[in-house]
Amino acid sequence: MPSRPDLHVIIAGGGEVGLRTAHLLNDRGHDLTIIERDADRCSRLGDEYVATIIQGNATLPEIFEQAAPQSADVVAALTNDIPANLAICMMAKHLHDNLHTVMRTDTEIGDAHADLVDAVVYPERASALLAVNAIIGGDVRAIEDVMGEIEIMEVRVSEAAPARGKTLEDVSFPSGSLVISDHEGSRIARPDTVLEAGRRYIVAADPEVVDEIMRLLRG
Amino acid sequence: MAQSGDRAPAASLSLLDATMVGMGAMIGAGIFVLTGLAADISGPGALLVFVLNGVVTTFTGLSYAELASAIPKSGGGYAFVREIFSDWISFLMGWMLGFAYMIAGALYALGFASNFVEFVHIYLPAFPGGATMHVIYALLVIVGLIALNAVSTEASGGAETVVTIIKIIILLIFAGFGLAVVQPDAFQPLFPEQKTGWSLLPAMGLTFIAFEGYDLITTVTEEVENPRENIPKAIFISLIATVAVYLLVVFVAIGTLGADELAAAGETGIAEAATSFMPQIPLLGGGGSLVVFGAVFSTVSALNAVVLASSRVLFAMGRENQLPAPLGKISAKYGTPFWAILASAVVMLVSVVFLPIEQVGRVSSLFFLISFVVVNLSVIRLRQERPNMQRPFEMPLYPYVPALGILLNGILAYYLLREDVVTLLVGLGWIALGSGVFWALKRRDASGDEDAATTDAASDA
Repeated sequence: MPSRPDLHVIIAGGGEVGLRTAHLLNDRGHDLTIIERDADRCSRLGDEYVATIIQGNATLPEIFEQAAPQSADVVAALTNDIPANLAICMMAKHLHDNLHTVMRTDTEIGDAHADLVDAVVYPERASALLAVNAIIGGDVRAIEDVMGEIEIMEVRVSEAAPARGKTLEDVSFPSGSLVISDHEGSRIARPDTVLEAGRRYIVAADPEVVDEIMRLLRG
Repeated sequence: MAQSGDRAPAASLSLLDATMVGMGAMIGAGIFVLTGLAADISGPGALLVFVLNGVVTTFTGLSYAELASAIPKSGGGYAFVREIFSDWISFLMGWMLGFAYMIAGALYALGFASNFVEFVHIYLPAFPGGATMHVIYALLVIVGLIALNAVSTEASGGAETVVTIIKIIILLIFAGFGLAVVQPDAFQPLFPEQKTGWSLLPAMGLTFIAFEGYDLITTVTEEVENPRENIPKAIFISLIATVAVYLLVVFVAIGTLGADELAAAGETGIAEAATSFMPQIPLLGGGGSLVVFGAVFSTVSALNAVVLASSRVLFAMGRENQLPAPLGKISAKYGTPFWAILASAVVMLVSVVFLPIEQVGRVSSLFFLISFVVVNLSVIRLRQERPNMQRPFEMPLYPYVPALGILLNGILAYYLLREDVVTLLVGLGWIALGSGVFWALKRRDASGDEDAATTDAASDA
């Protein structure tokens, strides 16, 4: 099956890193399931309404399977227990070998497991944003989380994007969004700037319109 | 200068707004057009038809509430079924649910046309209003609303709330005047002559479409404030309030006009009842015209709701690669799911032209009933296969509630089909067409994958 525009992502660990990652992915329109061990934390996650929540230990196959890995695209193991993260990624790969695995690690262990999983993230380096970048791949890269709310991203316009080949003035962007730079960041964007497939543009957006931006520029 | 967006993004919906999304979609053509037909089948027992349909719908409403509180996706029934069922079942669910909304749109458009002609005739008796003209007005209203929705994403939240409150007020004015003059004898006997309690079942199936619409709340969940609490609340409040309004209206219609005259008036039954007892109103004239005005208003807003609902289902299927990709894309020029809206329009227009009005109602009811059976099944499967999933709203009396939902919806579907070969054929035809599309898309995807694999192998070598 060709890849869907919206990924199905399983996040193991609903701590601050997991939740923040879920928020950023949800803003971009992806589908999420969070597996979290602590019951109180689960009800807190439930109130956020960004993901389906499975309560339990993600390293157990019977719990992990409840997150529907057979129809998922990515597993991100983001608990603060590094060996558990490795176990979750290994189990995920073993049970469903088409899953892309992303593992949270720490500076002490570093890249030691890099060959065993598809991507490794360090929380020390703005962990949530890095996790998002690793999950999505290189086509959409968050630059910085300004003032906690606005997102500034570098977005590569895809071949399948509705806005591909159009000038900025011909594209109906939602308010709360701003295309800042020309491709490759060489000039400030103008109304006649053309959105070319394969080129990268710097875009700023309020969290609630990021999904619409993704649909216009990524398809 | 950098290019800043100026199109309004989707609004956030309060509990009242969300409730009105449900009520707005439910109170459409159903109550105005189908009450007469229900009286024709069941006599004064038509009142029970609406009571029992309310009960049946509540079972599925509980299932929707549980699913919506646990699964934060805006795709409605399709998204929930997609979560737990195979590609094939979830495709069919989307295929049937989308069609049910589209064909409900055809019913609302035809309901609009007959009421519109009636309304204009009050002022312009010479206005053309033959059967062909009805179809033309129905086509025009669909084209108008589709055009509006295809080129504009203007947040409909607030406006929809006002429109819905106006239609509720019109029905309450009707009921208020009527309650004073209801003849209790009109309900004696409840089932006259050869009619029996069994006649309720086909009448329930036929009018079921008037109870569909609360499910639209689950297509906008991500825009609702405090969703985990407000979505189940909005589902229940909209269901209970709508059933209450229906009961008042049907009680008054039968109590004032009598079941026989109501049945004879058919699609314009409620308006005839209003003419019989309401005083003259300045500008509008007799009570009938107020109700006809309410019906014109209601059918347009309900049509608007199903245009959005059907395009949302097609859009969600397009994004899941279950329908061709353009259906899952928003238009760069307008910011709307343009192709999904256009595809819904084509089906609505074709249905208006080729299906008689009673058939349209039946086919739509049938697909809602089948879809609701699958939604109830989803609750049971999710409870069994994902016991650890968080369910902020857990329905009481599980598993009896979804089991009864499946059983009762199934019985209504059976009675709907029992004496109606055309509905059965249209239903089977649509499912067969869907199966063809599903396998064609699957083959296309599979051959695409093989090509990719061959290229990879070649580049490795």
